[in-house]
Formats: sequence, C-alpha cells, structure tokens
Amino acid sequence: MTKVVLLLILVCSLILFAASFGGRFGPFHQITLDTLGPVQSLFTSVSQGVEQVWDDYVALWSVRDENKRLRAMLEEYNEKLNEYTEAYSTYLGLHQKLRFKEKDPFPSITARVVGKGPSYWFQTIVIDRGENDGIVDGMVARNEKGVVGQVIQVSPNYSKILLANAPSSAIDAMVQKSRVRGILKGAGQRGYILHYVLKKADVTVGDRIVTAGIGGIFPSGIPLGRVSAVRKKQRGMFQEIEVEPAVDFQRLEVVFVNLTEKLSWEAEMHRPMGADY
Amino acid sequence: MLLVFFLILGVFLIVAQTTFFQLFPDWLGRPDFLYILVAFAAYRLGWVTGLLYVFLLGWMLDVVSGIHLGIYPLQNILVFTGLKLLTESSPLREGAYEVPLVGLSYFLVQIGFYFVHSVMIPGTLPVWSWDKIFQDTMILLLATIPAFVLLNYFFEFFRSRRIVHRVIRRGSSNQFR
Repeated sequence: MTKVVLLLILVCSLILFAASFGGRFGPFHQITLDTLGPVQSLFTSVSQGVEQVWDDYVALWSVRDENKRLRAMLEEYNEKLNEYTEAYSTYLGLHQKLRFKEKDPFPSITARVVGKGPSYWFQTIVIDRGENDGIVDGMVARNEKGVVGQVIQVSPNYSKILLANAPSSAIDAMVQKSRVRGILKGAGQRGYILHYVLKKADVTVGDRIVTAGIGGIFPSGIPLGRVSAVRKKQRGMFQEIEVEPAVDFQRLEVVFVNLTEKLSWEAEMHRPMGADY
Repeated sequence: MLLVFFLILGVFLIVAQTTFFQLFPDWLGRPDFLYILVAFAAYRLGWVTGLLYVFLLGWMLDVVSGIHLGIYPLQNILVFTGLKLLTESSPLREGAYEVPLVGLSYFLVQIGFYFVHSVMIPGTLPVWSWDKIFQDTMILLLATIPAFVLLNYFFEFFRSRRIVHRVIRRGSSNQFR
C-alpha cells in the first residue's frame, strides 16, 4: 500500500515537473492555484479575524490608561487655550491702550485700578498712582473708550477717582451728529442723562455724545457715550435723553490720568452747589 | 486678641468688598458684610471697644471708597449706637431678633442716609430705587445668618481662650504668694 502511494506521488511529481518546462502556467498550475486559493483565503480570513480580536483584546488593556492620558492632555490643552485666549485678549487690550496713549497729545500716566467703591450710592475707584507720580486733585482720568472720572483724593502712592457716572458729576457735552449741546450728568448705574437739550433739537437713539471742549484745555470730541433713549414729555422745554456710557465702569482695569489737565475739570464739570470736593 | 482678630477681619472684608466682590454678577448681589460686622459688634462688644472698632472700620472704608469723608464712620457709629441701645434695654435683646434687626436697621439706614444726603447735598446721589434697596436688604439678611454663625464661633473661641488665659495667670500668681 505504501509502495503504491509512493509510486503515485512519484508519478504526479514527474508529471508536474514535466509540466513546468517551457515556463507556461498550464492547467496543472491553475488547478493547483484554484485548490490552494480558497484555503489561503480561509486562512487569511481566520488569521485576520484572530489578529483583530487579539488587537482589540490587547488594546482594551491600555484603553483606560490611554483614555486617562488623553483626558489629561485635553485638560492641559484647554488650560493652555484659556491662557492663550486670555493672553491674546490682554494683548489686544494693551495694544489698544498703547495706540491710544501714542495718539494722545497730552502727557498722561498709566494707572492700574486696584479697588472699587462697594456702595450703590457713590461711584469711586482707587488707582495705584499718587502724589509721587505727579497726580493732584482735579486731574482727569480717561481710557481709550472715553472719560472715566476725576481725581478727588490723593495719597503719596494711590489716588481715588470719582467716576464720571456719579450723579455729582456734570460734563459739557454735545451730540456729535447735530452739534447740539447739553450738560451730561451721571446717573449711577443707569449711565448718564443729557440735560438741557431743547425739544426741537435733532437727537435720536444711537447718536454719539462727545465732550464739548469748553475751556480749551480739555479737548473736545472725547467719546462719552451713545444715546440709548429719548423722551419728549408734554410739559417742559427740554428732552429727556438717556446716554449709555462709552466706558464700561464695571470693567475698568487701566486708566490714563492726564497730567496737563490739572484743575481743568472745573471748566468741564460743574460741581453742584454745596459739594465739598 | 479678640479685637485684633476682628480688626484683621474688618480689613480683610474692606479689601474684599472693594476688590473681588466687585467681580460678582449683579444678580448674585454683593452683601454688605461690613454692615453685618458692625451689627455683630453692636450685639457682642462693649460700648468703648465697639465704638472704637466700628469707627476704625468706617474710617478705613472712607479712605478707600468715600467721597464725602466722615460719612462712613458716622454711619457706623450711629448704627452701632442704635442697635446697642435697642438690644440693651428692650426685649429685642433676645437672639431671635438679632438677624431680622440687622435687615430692618439696614433698610432704615439706607432711607435715612438718602434723605439726609439729599437734603444736605442735593443732586449727588443716584435716583432712589425701592427694588434695589429691597434686593440689597434681602441679600444682606440671607448673608447675615451664616455670617453670624461664623462670627459667633470666632467670638466664643477667642473669648474662651481669654478666660482660660486669665484663670491660668491668676492660678500661677497665687502659687508664688
């Protein structure tokens, strides 16, 4: 039996050997390939499946760690993104302030706001510049958006500023579009009220209000705000005009105190009778 | 030690109220913790110590945020005196009335302050707002409860330390007689 099998193998081998001559991919080659092909395919599929399962299984071991690592990375990048966003915002703010300072024709000193009055009734801030920096009572504080207020009390290193939206402040102002003038009084958290503007004057919501520049030292055209409401009552000669401040008094961080504007505020801001500052 | 602690606490509150409390959104409110501290001083401290204490607080607040100097010390002294008189010589001295009295006095002080200020220096205050005053009073009342619990804890802590200290000193002095 063994001899028969051996003989069969030998015959087949000789036939296949003979078929190999001439380099032609003959019928025997094709039959062989068609026979082996499906087996290869099966093996390949199985091995790929096993590999996939193995990979998934092995991967599970590290998924948790990787997840933790990725979460940590995400947090880190979010933190960095916040830092960069904050830095960019700071940069934009400082750039804007620098441009303002460069354009400002008057010598001014930059001051950081270090405190804000807690009372609803009074609007004050404290800045980190004082007498030693050349600041005296009456100087005007501004920022790139507009008028901030007036220095009312000074110590060697710090000063207190009465904000322009305090009811005791009043600024000679005008409507930029129509050049109509009036007195802009502070109204606390409501912003400003523009007084003494005749009913016939052309004032509409959205109009820009700027300083009128009376007195010469305090330049005209400094933004104060925009008209947010206009009311014409039946009685009286004047309109009631509410103005939204250009300066965001809640978010003051840096102000510029104009060193040449000493006591010029008195020309612009009319103190009410009886005020002791 | 007690007074030193309360002075440091007062300074901390003044700084906090003029700096990072300002970052709180409007809807959350900014409770006037200094007023609570003044009321607490009226309930717990003696006349001389308390008056000195509230004057110093008012003076410091005046320096950092006052426009018309002297208003805050005067207000603190009046609040202290008023609350002290009320609680010393009337049934209102009971603990249950302490917190409501803080709210009521705050409300009345705001009205009185506005009235006096409007008469003395007209046109220098924002328009009166009932909503704002009610809101502030409610926030103050809500803040008073935990604040009083905390302040009471510190007050009792330092007072007990002082008593123990006195007893020890007295005891040690007797030993050497």
